[in-house]
Amino acid sequence: MKFIKKIFWLGSAFVCINAQAIPVTFDVISNQDSPVFQTVVYLEPDGEVEIAESKKQVAVMDQVDRQFMPHILAVQKGNKVVFPNSDSIKHHVYSFSPAKQFELKLYKGSDAEPLLFENQGEVELGCNVHDWMLAYIWVVDTPYFAKTDQNGKVTIDVPSGNYRVKVWHPRIQDDLEGLTQEVSINAPTNVSFRLKQKLLQDLSFYEQAADKLTDY
Amino acid sequence: MIANHSFKNRIVIISFVLALLLAVNVMPPAAANQVGGIVQVYIANTDDWQSYQNHGTGILRQDDNVAGIQQALLHTNIDVTSSVSLNAVAHYYPDGEQQLGFSQLSMQYKPLSPNKIKFKARAGFFYPRLSLENVDDGWLSPYTYTQSAINSWVGEEMRTLGLEFSIYSPGRARRSPWSWEVVAATFKGNDPLGTIISWRGFAMHDRQSLNNDRVNFAAYPTVIDTDFIWHPDYVEPFHELDQRWGFYTGLHFRYFNQTSLRYYYYDNQADPLAVNSQRLYGWRTKFHSLSFQHKLDNNTRLISQLMSGSTVMGLKYVYVDFDAWYLMLSHQVSQHRISVRYDRFIVSEDDIFPTDMNNSDGYGLTLAWRYDLNDNWQLGLEQHFNKNSAQNRAQLDLPVDANQQQTLLVAQFRW
Repeated sequence: MKFIKKIFWLGSAFVCINAQAIPVTFDVISNQDSPVFQTVVYLEPDGEVEIAESKKQVAVMDQVDRQFMPHILAVQKGNKVVFPNSDSIKHHVYSFSPAKQFELKLYKGSDAEPLLFENQGEVELGCNVHDWMLAYIWVVDTPYFAKTDQNGKVTIDVPSGNYRVKVWHPRIQDDLEGLTQEVSINAPTNVSFRLKQKLLQDLSFYEQAADKLTDY
Repeated sequence: MIANHSFKNRIVIISFVLALLLAVNVMPPAAANQVGGIVQVYIANTDDWQSYQNHGTGILRQDDNVAGIQQALLHTNIDVTSSVSLNAVAHYYPDGEQQLGFSQLSMQYKPLSPNKIKFKARAGFFYPRLSLENVDDGWLSPYTYTQSAINSWVGEEMRTLGLEFSIYSPGRARRSPWSWEVVAATFKGNDPLGTIISWRGFAMHDRQSLNNDRVNFAAYPTVIDTDFIWHPDYVEPFHELDQRWGFYTGLHFRYFNQTSLRYYYYDNQADPLAVNSQRLYGWRTKFHSLSFQHKLDNNTRLISQLMSGSTVMGLKYVYVDFDAWYLMLSHQVSQHRISVRYDRFIVSEDDIFPTDMNNSDGYGLTLAWRYDLNDNWQLGLEQHFNKNSAQNRAQLDLPVDANQQQTLLVAQFRW
């Protein structure tokens, strides 16, 4: 597992250490001006941008205390995700999403092979043992992506060029195409997204109140 | 009869071992066979009211200052296919009449489904999911050792030998804080359900009856008199006596994972005139059960259950209404869990034989501290008090009222 994490962090660092990188800072706020945590922000370059060489990464979607960890995971198309089980009980992870359909029985201490995510889009994960468990994998077709922090902000380093900047979050109701911005990056830039529609209800309380005595 | 019991016990043990061996050998991934266990050893300091288990009228499991095995169980969950799993819980109890056997043995069908409303089913020998107290492996309570009066009774006399169907909708997948489930079940067996609370009254313990078990009670003269009611001083609760199907239906609601509410209506539909060669009767038992849990915060929860019902045997030879409830507060501080529970239980009769007294009632207070030393070991200390009365003790020249207390020191190992 340490090895996998190392690969993941090395891969993440790759974008940052690119010699021509220009920092672009994103700010995502709701229609009520509150920051939107864990929004996936990604920049799709147009044909002229010299795209960083794609390094294969293995991302991690863990099961910890009867919850998926993280709740939202962004990965680049063509990369793999490994599903460890840090709990001492069985999980049965599945997806019926068109972008990736699978099921994995994760037993205590079992090592499941990483799964390849080849199609862009949303993959909603559930657990057939613990019905409250839910997570998303958002598959993007660019190496330039990240998630916003608690303040709704994130900085991504990219080579200069023209990009379509997109955002995704499961609580966003706005039309995603309508939110897309065309930006030209030649110097450090700030890009803001303010949502027009109300966010869907925050259901993160499911994660706070679950414990091993929740159900049987 | 005892010989017959031990023969059946052997069959059960052999079946269990064969099932395990089969599972281990046939199922390709070894990890798919999840086997765990819990062993509890105890030292008890208890009053000397003779326990119902020893044909006394005391409502506790122990009646002596002794040490021994409180629980010893193996539980397994074996995946047969993606959707089908086998669940079994096998026990060893040094006390009671059946030392080895199953408390649960069932197949579960829970198919993967993209729908917001899903379906699942169980078949076999299992507990209806009335209780929010018995949420640990093997239907144990993680809160106290001495369980509530309601679930002590469920553990000793109630089991579903049949089919249970559920329609359910997990809220999070619908982007809602509310989850719900509708349960319907039909079953055979369990016709003598109600016998023990009609004569002994409610008890407080954690001795679950096994698949072919017998629960003793005192030899009340009106009960055992062959010219009167003529019933043995025990019940074997899981017999099928009348070929009728019982049923129950339930509704579960959950708000996030914070608040749970479960309602069940249960009717074993037993023929109260059915009687077998042991003179065990069918008892038509019906009840409503409402369970509630609310987590005040991540460490503190309130759990409660109310049960109200009736049972009738013969031509109203025995007819009782029973009502019981409990309220428990449980708080966890790091590796420590402290729980306190108050129980109230009442059985009142309205039958044609007032000389065979059935009125009983009582209160219970249980305080428990359980300390997790690590993932495997736990230490616990429990103090239990109850005050109970049973009018039929007068038949045995015993005081009608009893004050009972018990201190338990328990070491638990789980794997």
